[in-house]
Amino acid sequence: MALSSKTKAVLWGPLNKNNPVIVQVLGICSALAVTSKLEPAIVMAIAVALVTAFANVIISLLRKSIPNRIRIIVQLVVVAALVTIVSEVLKAFAYDVNKQLSVFVGLIVTNCILMGRLEAFALGNGPWPSFLDGIGNGLGYGWVLVVVGFFRELLGSGTLLGYKVVPQALYDAGYENNGLMMLAPMAILLVACIIWVHRANNKELQEETN
Amino acid sequence: MNRENSGYTIIYASVMVIVVALGLAFTHQVLSGRQVANENTDKMQQILRSLNLDVSVAEAPAKYAGLIKNAYLINDEGVKVEGSEGITPDDPAFSTELGDEQAKGLPVYEADVDGSAKYIIPMSGAGLWGPIWGYLAIEADGSVVYGAEFGHAGETPGLGAEIVTASFSNRFRGKNLFKENEFTSVAVVKPGQTNSRRDYVDGISGGTITSKGVDNMLLNSVGRYKNFLMNLHASAQ
Amino acid sequence: MDAISLIVRSIFVDNMIFAYFLGMCSFLAVSKNVKTALGLGVAVTFVLVLTLPINYMLENYVLKAGALQWLGKEYAEVDLSVFSLLIFIAVIASFVQLVEMVIERFSPSLYSSLGIFLPLIAVNCAILGGSLFMQQREFANVGMAAAYGFGSGIGWLLAIVGMAAIREKLEYSHVPKPLKGLGITFIITALMAIGFMSFSGINI
Repeated sequence: MALSSKTKAVLWGPLNKNNPVIVQVLGICSALAVTSKLEPAIVMAIAVALVTAFANVIISLLRKSIPNRIRIIVQLVVVAALVTIVSEVLKAFAYDVNKQLSVFVGLIVTNCILMGRLEAFALGNGPWPSFLDGIGNGLGYGWVLVVVGFFRELLGSGTLLGYKVVPQALYDAGYENNGLMMLAPMAILLVACIIWVHRANNKELQEETN
Repeated sequence: MNRENSGYTIIYASVMVIVVALGLAFTHQVLSGRQVANENTDKMQQILRSLNLDVSVAEAPAKYAGLIKNAYLINDEGVKVEGSEGITPDDPAFSTELGDEQAKGLPVYEADVDGSAKYIIPMSGAGLWGPIWGYLAIEADGSVVYGAEFGHAGETPGLGAEIVTASFSNRFRGKNLFKENEFTSVAVVKPGQTNSRRDYVDGISGGTITSKGVDNMLLNSVGRYKNFLMNLHASAQ
Repeated sequence: MDAISLIVRSIFVDNMIFAYFLGMCSFLAVSKNVKTALGLGVAVTFVLVLTLPINYMLENYVLKAGALQWLGKEYAEVDLSVFSLLIFIAVIASFVQLVEMVIERFSPSLYSSLGIFLPLIAVNCAILGGSLFMQQREFANVGMAAAYGFGSGIGWLLAIVGMAAIREKLEYSHVPKPLKGLGITFIITALMAIGFMSFSGINI
């Protein structure tokens, strides 16, 4: 299927120049506490991408009928319902991951990316572009999460997805897992590093003031 | 149609709430069977881990059914409650929660590992942020710890959360719950410290309050089984 | 006594920003000067203190498995917890709207200084996070829930005001270009969080 250039922009923009996490600063809330291991980070990324995409589609379909006064509440209800479904499905099919994510599944509701995209995109666009926008933003959020999760698990526990990747020989030579990586502040420091690299490569995103 | 009309707004909101409620109730109905099964399997895995067996989700129910010979509730005197026997998830021993005040007794699981009997008792307590729990497998003499398993809801990752690791729970193996016929349980001390009065294991460095919580749990939760363990202890001597 | 220790713990040890990074969006967006940061902090505390007890009552007398027992024996088995997320967020959103209207009606001056932040609060993760943690931690009574809400709110306020103060001073420092703005704010947050971690060993 050939995508028009506009559709491409909708899908790929959020992955790079318009990234919701490191450029628009949305959705950091629930992101950081789940990245101490790679697996929950991936599940979280998929969950957010799906919820964003489907919430976008639903709101986009309803956009001509929603009374303006209760707009925010309607959006919240749609999102909360979708998140509850995701959480129920996780409980049924990925019990272990659901245990690790605990309250952070519920916190997808207040993930600013969702409300941001619903307000900024879905209310003014058709269902198909809205779906792509949701997937794009979800993935843009997801890759940051996965990168952070990758480094925290690799450096913090010496494993990836639970499999040992740091060879025993290295431990014998005196290498030790960095316990600091398992602590929450390191997640935010890693995001700062991603921002640094990203902005060093994209000069137009750099800010003038602190 | 006027979208800002109050009547329209109210009807819109009501219809939406009904649709959403039906949708969620339906999802829950469809999935709840699987969820309950998951919870039960998870509990079986925890019980098996207290016997030092780490089995996968797929194998857990069969292994559990093979190893656990009996399960029942006991009352405060440590005597089996009549009619409470049974090891399946529907039986009282499996479904009774420790904190439940209306429960008819405290659950005990009897396992048979290579011909020797082990008694498994559940524990529950409070860590730094929220609840912690665990299972303690005890030898037939009612005193020597055969294995332990701990879980937590939200302890600090890398610090308190380390209580779930095997390297922590393995420290309990072979410890004595009784000293000179007194129930003392096993103490959790700061790494490097000792305790002459009780058998002890090292806590988690940096996870002081969680370790303290485990210590309290071993004293209070296991303490409720004191009479039961005493009876075992006495009959073994 | 328990309530006081809970408040102290939720301000310092269990800080919404530094331990869980909840409410980061508005934390980063509104921490540019101390005055507005203080306004938002007060608003968040206010909403947390009032929504947590409401949600606590709903959780324990309506939503939880067996919570409807007070209606009669036949309701003892009802488990409405699948709706808890929906109810919590609805309570928070409508409450924020209500607070907004009340403040607008009775204190226009407070409204003009606080009002712009109120709509933001409905989607502040710290508020919903408070309710979800309350659900997970099973507090003993309404008072404890309110105390937890108060402590979390004050902790959030402390964090955002501290951050704003640092950022005001930062105007005069040389920050590497790619780190300006967002990047350095993240790094400062991380450092503050590590600082706050030293509270975690305290036995309260």
